[in-house]
Amino acid sequence: MRIGLEVHVQLPTRSKLFCSCSTSGDEVNSSVCPICLGFPGSRPRLNRKALEMGVSIAKFLNCDINEKVWFSRKTYFYPDLVKNFQITQYETPLGKDGFFTIGGRRIGIWRVHIEEDPGRIKRAGRSGEEVALVDYNRSGVPLVEIVTAPDLTSPEEARAFLTDLLIELRRLIGLSPNDETTVRADANISVGEERVEIKNINGLKSIEKGLKFEAKRQSKLLAAGKKISRETRRFDEERGTTLPSREKEFEEDYGYIGEPDLGTFTIGPMARAMKLPETPLARAARLEAEYGLAPTSARQIVLTSWELADMFEALARRAGSETATTWTLGAISAQWMELQERYGGRLEETIVPIIDDVRSGAITDAEARMRIAILAGKGSEAAKPLSSEDLGPLVSRLVDSNPDVVRDFRSNPRAANFLIGQVMKETHGRYASKEISEAIRKELEKRV
Amino acid sequence: MSVMDLLAAVRDADERHRIFAERLEDPLAYEVEHAFHFSAKDNLCTSDFQARAGSRILEGYRPPFDATAVARLRQAGGLLIGKTNMDEFGFGSFSTNSATGVPRNPYDAARSCGGSSGGAAAAASMLEGHLAVGVSTGGSISCPASFCGVVGLTPTYGRVSRWGLIDYGNSLDKIGLLSASSGMIRRYLPAISGPDPLDPTSQVQPPLDMSGQIRSVAVPEEALTGLSGSMRAAFEDAVARLERMGVEVRRGAMPALRFALSAYYILATAEASTNLARYCGMRYGDIEQETDQSFNEFFSRVRSRGLGREAKRRILLGTFCRMVGFRDRYYIKALQVRELIIREYEEQFRSVDAVLTPTMPFVAPRFDEIESMSALETYQADFLTGPPNLAGLPHISIPCAYIDGLPAGMQLVAPRWEEGRLLSLAERWENGFEYRRPEGRA
Repeated sequence: MRIGLEVHVQLPTRSKLFCSCSTSGDEVNSSVCPICLGFPGSRPRLNRKALEMGVSIAKFLNCDINEKVWFSRKTYFYPDLVKNFQITQYETPLGKDGFFTIGGRRIGIWRVHIEEDPGRIKRAGRSGEEVALVDYNRSGVPLVEIVTAPDLTSPEEARAFLTDLLIELRRLIGLSPNDETTVRADANISVGEERVEIKNINGLKSIEKGLKFEAKRQSKLLAAGKKISRETRRFDEERGTTLPSREKEFEEDYGYIGEPDLGTFTIGPMARAMKLPETPLARAARLEAEYGLAPTSARQIVLTSWELADMFEALARRAGSETATTWTLGAISAQWMELQERYGGRLEETIVPIIDDVRSGAITDAEARMRIAILAGKGSEAAKPLSSEDLGPLVSRLVDSNPDVVRDFRSNPRAANFLIGQVMKETHGRYASKEISEAIRKELEKRV
Repeated sequence: MSVMDLLAAVRDADERHRIFAERLEDPLAYEVEHAFHFSAKDNLCTSDFQARAGSRILEGYRPPFDATAVARLRQAGGLLIGKTNMDEFGFGSFSTNSATGVPRNPYDAARSCGGSSGGAAAAASMLEGHLAVGVSTGGSISCPASFCGVVGLTPTYGRVSRWGLIDYGNSLDKIGLLSASSGMIRRYLPAISGPDPLDPTSQVQPPLDMSGQIRSVAVPEEALTGLSGSMRAAFEDAVARLERMGVEVRRGAMPALRFALSAYYILATAEASTNLARYCGMRYGDIEQETDQSFNEFFSRVRSRGLGREAKRRILLGTFCRMVGFRDRYYIKALQVRELIIREYEEQFRSVDAVLTPTMPFVAPRFDEIESMSALETYQADFLTGPPNLAGLPHISIPCAYIDGLPAGMQLVAPRWEEGRLLSLAERWENGFEYRRPEGRA
């Protein structure tokens, strides 16, 4: 089975591709202007940020970057397309002939280009009196189109490809949080010789579902000795099936010509100067290699949170990868949501000292786990960090009320351990046991 | 630095800002001295008039913004008195393809004003002290300027922002000026020129240099074939006059020019066919009220009704040229021819300051003559105005003769960004050649 995808992902810019309208309009047709409504006399100007994002994606996908690029007009008539042509890239995509690796397999990337999104059509009214309403808020929103070679071998792999791609793009350019449902794809699938295109499927789940249905349909036809005809189909989300496209079959001919209003853009130097951040799956692969993590563990750490991975690496550098793995995958991962909520942004400085205390022998593993649990708010009350000034009065009160300990301490310093336990209980692990024991020893020695 | 110093600095820094600085320095005196009226071709958007571009399909369309050229003339103290008639979307050479009537030649009402900026040329010819803003894609300023006996300047592609211009062929469209003589054009070209963030293609231009001169011209032999006998004689008289003015005239050849018109019509119609796709009866203009049809039926009906015959012809031509199987043979080939023409001009400009030809092969034709012309014959009338337009080069049409009382123009083409040269020559020409004015001039 061969599957190729044309993936459309919205670029997370604040303004549209060719005008300054916001990409997030709340009310229907509120984020529109003469440019994104295609009024006569208006003309486009390129959002540089979108171009940069597109170039970074092309570079990330190991594409050959075109030195010079321009835009083209793809002409077809549709009510959601304000000019009845879409400004896209034809002869000069940002990049071509790249690849993306999933599960150790290279999936070919044929091209990466940017283009404008059309508006959105909503059908309303009772059946029979149905009307089509158009919301142009989406008109002119920047999209990146990524076209793969037909290298994917199953619907599951197609989904895995998209999942991994989105994971990486989120880090690379920061996609919208609901990107898994807004990602769109045209999917080509052939079980036998002839390929079928399923147009415009929305969301990861539907893409996999549509492909699964189509794979089964084609296999059945082949098993029955029938031929598969080359056609365009659409995915019916409600029924989970693919159907022949309602649109009249015609030779697809968009009559591409250059878009003269935008001119040409030299992107080669920009692409060469661009430093790409390390992406999650690349980082996971590095964690595997550098620290000997199991692939699933590495992926789990990185995908749980970038900060968790930072902390893992900080721990590993100090305490070795074994200790780092144990703590990161154990107590820390288990309460990650809570920890991040309370200490997001300063977790490394909060948690690394606890593990340091374990390593120096100041506290036990159990104490450390307790302190982490308390940091996560799992103790009896919120673990509000106190200043060490607060420790003094508490210690002196406890020493005062335990004269027998003071007496025993003279002959046996281990008697202090009882008080240490009491303070730890009262402070819910907010202090390192070393700090507590020192405070108590000091207090006791005052009275000896 | 005081405000006055600042204004003085602005004025001296750049020709383009001079008028605005003058106006700010002494507003009242400026208005009294420089109040002027101007008109805009109907394909330029202004918020105070409807913009129909000569088409029924835009009936009632009132743009929500001003074209940059119009806005800048207003800022320079101009009063926009109206919109001028034109061939629908610029499709024509005689202004006979308009949904809103046909403008008539000020010298003979039975004859054409030329096109497509016919109304602009008529206004420039008839109104004293008037500045008409025209648009040229393939000769639409030069042609009517020649027929109506006025000066018509078409600037370099990218010199004047096209924001607010209803597109014909975006890689060819240029906004320019027409007036009875070169004075007002010289004065107000700087005001409408200059970079505009709303039109990226206007942002790469160097500042205007109004000091350029033309000391030598090339007359390509190709330009002299296909002229009417009287036009040829009138043109040779003008050449002799230029030589007497001290301009060196070199006879030469520009063989590639004969491909220019075919390339022009392919590129212009290919772009036009996409530009006109947006007129589908939604959002603005001629809106179809019957919505109980499929979208294909809906927009087909609106377009059949709203677009004129020549517009439909050019949509078909342009669509054909960009279809799979024909695209390489027509559209791509035409792009290559454009490069060839540009190189051929560059070759000329190595040894001369400008290229000189007649503007049109004949004087303004009568409407009955036009009616008997085929579309192809009409297109061929642009063979002298097409090449500089295809190459995006600045050019000017200057009245140079009167043949049986009808004006005829000569056309000078300069290197990119050298509008100043053309206007300097026009000024010198006007010192020795007296323009006639039509009767009934206001």
